[in-house]
Amino acid sequence: MTSTVNIKSFWAKVLAATFIFPVAYLLVLSLAESWLFPELFPVSFTAERWSTLFSTNSELFNSLLLSLVVAVMVAFISTLSGFYTSKQLAYHRKRKLWMRLSYFPFVLSPVIYAAVLYYYFIELNLAGNIGGVILGHILIAYPYSVILFSGFWGNRTQRIEQLVQTLGGNRWQTYKHVFLPLAQGLLLICFFQTFLISWFEYGLTTIIGVGKVQTLTLKVFQYINEANFYNAALASSLLILPPIILLYFNKKYLFQKRW
Amino acid sequence: MVTPLETKHISKSYGNERVLSDINLSLNSNETLSILGRSGCGKTTLLKVLGGLESPDGGTVFVNQTDIQTLQPQDRDVVYLYQEALLFPHLTVFENIAFGLRLRKIDEKKVSKRTHTMIRKLQLNGMADRMPDQLSGGQKQRVSFGRALITNPSVLLLDEPFGNLDAYTRSNMQELFKQIANDLTITAVFVTHNVKEAILMGDRIGSISEGGLTIYPSVEAFVESEKNGVQEEIEFWQSIDKNTN
Repeated sequence: MTSTVNIKSFWAKVLAATFIFPVAYLLVLSLAESWLFPELFPVSFTAERWSTLFSTNSELFNSLLLSLVVAVMVAFISTLSGFYTSKQLAYHRKRKLWMRLSYFPFVLSPVIYAAVLYYYFIELNLAGNIGGVILGHILIAYPYSVILFSGFWGNRTQRIEQLVQTLGGNRWQTYKHVFLPLAQGLLLICFFQTFLISWFEYGLTTIIGVGKVQTLTLKVFQYINEANFYNAALASSLLILPPIILLYFNKKYLFQKRW
Repeated sequence: MVTPLETKHISKSYGNERVLSDINLSLNSNETLSILGRSGCGKTTLLKVLGGLESPDGGTVFVNQTDIQTLQPQDRDVVYLYQEALLFPHLTVFENIAFGLRLRKIDEKKVSKRTHTMIRKLQLNGMADRMPDQLSGGQKQRVSFGRALITNPSVLLLDEPFGNLDAYTRSNMQELFKQIANDLTITAVFVTHNVKEAILMGDRIGSISEGGLTIYPSVEAFVESEKNGVQEEIEFWQSIDKNTN
């Protein structure tokens, strides 16, 4: 019995280490003054890169803020509009057709999808600006949100809605007192997932943003192309920070069933 | 005297299938009308039309002698209860029962007083803080009743509310409902496919067949009718009785 527990504990630690190691490695690399082969560890450390991050006009800090604004906007709009749209589709007589169409953006790779839509973004004066990038990300995150919520609107939810109506509840009260609390866990998961879709989006941002909208993901690739590994490690450390924070706050919904 | 519920010439079809045809009924205050019928005969459709959850093809519904045909379900003062309790899983027993009062933004003191009174009436003492997943089937159905009755609706529509309960709990719930309906002078339409339950629960009994509603003048007339399956049921129990004696 004790040996079984020990083996489980050992493998749990190995698994945890495989997740923690890349994060720790990036953090150490971002703090290394110089770390050259065949040195096992950096010879010396510096906090200069991290301190310049918070100085005025830091490009990386601006990219961090830009990415946060884009991802939060995309997650917020996609989650709420997807929640509402999925309800309309669930009770629509052509439900199956609409649901099939909502898978369309995932048939193409985001880069090809962006290239196909690029003409319209130019026509609408949305190429090369933050509004265009947000709209581009929403075009992927919104159908994802619709698909995620489609399972929520079943016959039982419809009966609950009708019950609330006969108890005297209007549409807003039904959402406020019943639908939103019932879907609370799913809403948070959707916000988290759509945030990540936007946060890590590269191909579509490159095409729609025309290189002018420098999100953090684009910065990481830029530093890698320049062979600037220390800055790439710093940008990567920043890139994984928000998902870790969101994962921490979402863990009870991701790993536990509330009701 | 005001008639709590009245319908005139209600009809409803789904495609070519006529589900309700020229339905006329009238209920007195504190009266329960049991409606019996086979599965798919249109009982639930009739309740949904009365509750505003389905639109009829023709006819009018009156509540307290007011035409409510154009009103939304939330404005009709008619509560529809399903076979399932459909309690809100994120709310306690207290909050589930108080739900209708909260929607009407009633003063907190009154909400507390009326909800606790209802909890006592439903014999749910000490369960106010429990979550729905901590209740038995019968307890859930009681909470569901409390939630419907607390706003004192003009008409209560019950769609086989005891269908999911075992025989013992069902019998208890039937008694409890009769008692509370009398206490609160509830006017109700009670739909069931169980002959015994229809007789027990209804002050009057009706049956739906081929889209038409027949309301019997008395229980005797209902029992004697050959349309509703009562005679077959009596013969069945008599044959059991003969075989065992």
